[in-house]
Amino acid sequence: MQIFVNLISRAFFMSTPLILGALGEVLAERTGMMVTAVEGIFLIGAWGGFIGAYLSGNMLVGFLAAMTCGLLVAMLYGLTTIYMHQHQIVMGTAIAILVTGFCTFFYRVIFGVQTVPLKVSPLPVIKIPLLSKIPIIGQILFSQNIITYLTYILVPIVFFVIYKTSLGLSMRSCGENPEAADAAGINVTKTRFLAVAVAGCMGGVAGAYYSLCNVGMYNAEIIGGRGWIAFGICFLGNWNPVGALTFGIIFGISDALGTYVRALGNASIPSELFSALPYILVIVLTVCRKQFNVPAKLGANYIKED
Amino acid sequence: MSEAVIELKHITKRFAKVLANDDVSITIHKGEVVALLGENGAGKSTIMKILYGLYHATSGEILIDGQERKISSPKEAMNLGISMIQQHFSLVPAHTVTENIILGNCKGKIDLKAKEKEIDGLAKQYGFDVPAGEYIRNLSVGTQQKVEILKALYLNARILIMDEPTAVLTPQEIDTLMEFVKSYVAKGNSVVFITHKMKEVMQVSDTIVVMRNGKICGTVKREDTNEKELAHMMIGRDLENLQTPGQDDFSDRKERLVVEHLTIRPEKQAPVLDDISFSIHEGEVLGIAGVSDNGQQELCEALYGAANITSGKITLDGKDITDTNVKERIAMGIGYTASDRYRYAMVADMTLSENMLLKSSYLKEWVSHGIINWKKLHQYTEDQIKKYAIKAPDHNVTAGSLSGGNQQKVVVAREVDMGHNVIIFDQPTRGLDLGAINYVHKTILSEKEQGKSVLLISTELSEIFALSDRIAVMYKGRIMGIYKNGELTTEKIGLLMAGYQPDKEELK
Amino acid sequence: MQKGKVKDLLLWTFLAIILGLAMSFAFLPLLGVNPIESLKIMLMETFADKFSMGNILVKTTPLILTSLAFAFTYKANLYNIGAQGQFYVGCICATATTLALQTKLPGVIVLLCAFAASVLGGGLTGLLIGFLKAKFNANEFLVSMMSTYVIQYVLQLLLRTVLQEPKHEYLKTQYIDSSTWLPKIIPGTSVSLGIVISVAAAVLIWFILYHTSLGYRVRVTGLNQDAATMSGINPKKMCMTAFFISGAIAGLAGFTEINGMQHMLLTGFESDIGSYGIGIAIMANANPIGIIFAALLFGTMQVGGTALGHSTDAPASVIDVMLGFVMLFVLMSFFVRHKLEIRKMKQQKLKGGEA
Repeated sequence: MQIFVNLISRAFFMSTPLILGALGEVLAERTGMMVTAVEGIFLIGAWGGFIGAYLSGNMLVGFLAAMTCGLLVAMLYGLTTIYMHQHQIVMGTAIAILVTGFCTFFYRVIFGVQTVPLKVSPLPVIKIPLLSKIPIIGQILFSQNIITYLTYILVPIVFFVIYKTSLGLSMRSCGENPEAADAAGINVTKTRFLAVAVAGCMGGVAGAYYSLCNVGMYNAEIIGGRGWIAFGICFLGNWNPVGALTFGIIFGISDALGTYVRALGNASIPSELFSALPYILVIVLTVCRKQFNVPAKLGANYIKED
Repeated sequence: MSEAVIELKHITKRFAKVLANDDVSITIHKGEVVALLGENGAGKSTIMKILYGLYHATSGEILIDGQERKISSPKEAMNLGISMIQQHFSLVPAHTVTENIILGNCKGKIDLKAKEKEIDGLAKQYGFDVPAGEYIRNLSVGTQQKVEILKALYLNARILIMDEPTAVLTPQEIDTLMEFVKSYVAKGNSVVFITHKMKEVMQVSDTIVVMRNGKICGTVKREDTNEKELAHMMIGRDLENLQTPGQDDFSDRKERLVVEHLTIRPEKQAPVLDDISFSIHEGEVLGIAGVSDNGQQELCEALYGAANITSGKITLDGKDITDTNVKERIAMGIGYTASDRYRYAMVADMTLSENMLLKSSYLKEWVSHGIINWKKLHQYTEDQIKKYAIKAPDHNVTAGSLSGGNQQKVVVAREVDMGHNVIIFDQPTRGLDLGAINYVHKTILSEKEQGKSVLLISTELSEIFALSDRIAVMYKGRIMGIYKNGELTTEKIGLLMAGYQPDKEELK
Repeated sequence: MQKGKVKDLLLWTFLAIILGLAMSFAFLPLLGVNPIESLKIMLMETFADKFSMGNILVKTTPLILTSLAFAFTYKANLYNIGAQGQFYVGCICATATTLALQTKLPGVIVLLCAFAASVLGGGLTGLLIGFLKAKFNANEFLVSMMSTYVIQYVLQLLLRTVLQEPKHEYLKTQYIDSSTWLPKIIPGTSVSLGIVISVAAAVLIWFILYHTSLGYRVRVTGLNQDAATMSGINPKKMCMTAFFISGAIAGLAGFTEINGMQHMLLTGFESDIGSYGIGIAIMANANPIGIIFAALLFGTMQVGGTALGHSTDAPASVIDVMLGFVMLFVLMSFFVRHKLEIRKMKQQKLKGGEA
């Protein structure tokens, strides 16, 4: 039983960055922008977060640095795709390569060659008084870190913004029919750019979660495709914050399961396949899903002749 | 004369490829309907999009209530009381009527229930039957247009610009629209009516501005002019009187294409094609009249093998071809110029030669053992460019770099050769200038002379009357009747297009 | 395309590459490395001897192939981001086939079998992705992306179990027999027949795309799927064909690397060539002949970068920074060129209007 509770608690822990990244992606994709730079944003978030926290000794500084890094990469992505009309998938791939090199290079510039990896102590767990005492649920839901709490609070907020406010209506219109949004007096390029920027901030924090909350260190393989999983969660969750939450938890479970089996260290179990579980899951779910609610103009750049 | 609310002065607009407006000046007065008349591509929409802030003028100035204004976005235009209904509606199909109307005009948290009530009230006030909570994708085009009008009314617009508002309506729906326009300007508002149809202009407008090639070529009062004069201004010369076909008797000629009880019914929905039967003889043009989106495209696709038909039978020269696909029907000699040529009939980023190959990549004409004979294809393309007087430097330019009329000539040139038995023309002259229209019409008639069978689909009645031997009218996927050319009056065809069958008893 | 446009394209791409390189070199002083000195070292070391120059070709070989893999689907408006995974499948197939057959059959026959196995293995992996796209409309971008991660783990599993070298110490296979190596074509270097194979593949892909009806159909489908359907071309079939060919080329890289260069398979093997391939394809605007030269440029950068790492404090990751910036600037140059073209057209109109 305790193993099970640990596993689920760990699943919620691991789902946090995926949900956070996917929420940002939902916001951007609702306006018609695929943030294919998400893997790069996650990576630079992990990098910037670690450097900020390590140098200042303060976690908040770390997360702010991660947010800034994510924002800058997202802005570069927005600039080239929205204002310079470059292809969204091609651009995202280019940025991923650039960020990979950039992070490794500047990690070396800042810290030189290290024989033992540098570490910070991971973000502490905050036990919510009383609630954390509830058996099982207390450990799963109310003994997490601050980022996890904030992420779960963000889900209804993002939902409210998208479906219940004029801002959300404008955003959705940009993704469904940018010409109509334009004719209704909405600045399509600005709306899209801002959404991408917000997704960049959220993605940056999500990336920092891996370096600051999970392991307390940074290396180039720390993200390992999890940005793309967040991207996939946005797709699978039907561009809906609640869907992102649901699939975020599912992937959290598979992630936790992989870590658990690997930690067992039993050579006869093909632990590699458990580690591959999240990725297999994306493929299987992508193939299985039937219902689509894709924004009509997702991935299409809006170019007005003038 | 009442005071001028809007003055456009010496507006010039230059795009990368065209000079769309050249020193255009228009004045709109309070309580007036201004008709902006001109052919496709004359620059009517561009000048109004500049007024609406969607485009920015290269030079010139805009005066509103006598004050100079810079209108840099639709938002500013709306604040000045200007609204525009685009030819292709600016509606989000996945959103509700209410969401579409309040888009861009609400702040913060939205109380959807209250807004719906408000919209319902507004609709009632103007006698519009529009369900405020319904999704746009579930509404007919006529109702969608009413949503667009409501959007303008919701903003308290005093100048309403309508771009080709009647293109998608039946004659009867047009009358309702005209009634609205008259009552709307009676309240002191103004309307700009962009159109290329003379009849509507004479019906509704006070002032008529005629445009040609981006320039104004005449501003007249309605009572001082007539259709003939307007046509002359619009085209630059008098309209030719084409000899009307319909006198030939085809009963002794071979039936080439026979369609029997053709039906397409998507699951749990109303049929898009409902029990269609007709035949075309060799050397005959069958015209199909009707408001767009009444099943014409589906009919073409069914005949071309690109649609899944529910039931019915298609026979070509006595052979049942119902179960064949596009590839096989191309090989049988069926040509098809799709109405949306940009989407279905050409590849804009490919060269003219490559576009000529489009329908025959599986045939032996230019391909042997899977390898393309470019030399032969280039030669053929050059020949076609000469034959059809296509304005293009050579076979190596992309199709997308040509003007719409020349693109259509490329498509027509190819399909006329592909279709050595039957050619389906769906809206072959939509968006073309008169020279190109003339060329396409001549081509259709000469192909008919060679004994080919032609199916001509058009929403322009004049085109149908000018070219068809027999005329069928389509409404909601049904054929309302097939008549010899000359048997139908415009009024009767209008009723048929709206779904009324005035002489059903007679037919029986 | 007109001649003037091709010249423009080459000029702008060249400028973008120079700018990208300059930008990345500008970072070197941060590490206390003199950029001018570094450039000197890079050039000197790279072109110092036959062996280093040969290494350029060795590095270029797989890059041409993974880049072609991306470019071919790109022409069909599809995104095969999984060339890395298909490359690994090619590696696994080549290694397993060679190890299984090397004691039983003559070397040439084993080579042919390994060749066929890697092409088929990569091709079928690609085909699977194409099938999922065609049949279930699964997002091929996501699926191919994820497939690489899955295949990486499968590779690790295989290297830990059935394919592991007899001593079971390291995550790698045993060496394949020298009779099954691709012959060296330039004495005194490591350059094998692999480079000939990959250049031939590029020419073949170019021929398929621009001179056969199959390639024509792939391009039509990529540019306008509706027009393709309306011309009797089946986009689903094209999708699967394109993915099969794409995967097969990536798989082929596995053959040239295993039998031509490394002679064994180990974990984390050439883990970047998939993404480098995409970068190269973008630089070359997905033109197969352009890819040969872009890959060559990148091979040179890799050898130079490695030399730089040996002689100075600059890390090898400076190569990634270089590639990233070069890609970024090349993409931006497309935009600048387009803008200039439009401006030129407007000016021409202006003159025409006044005349």
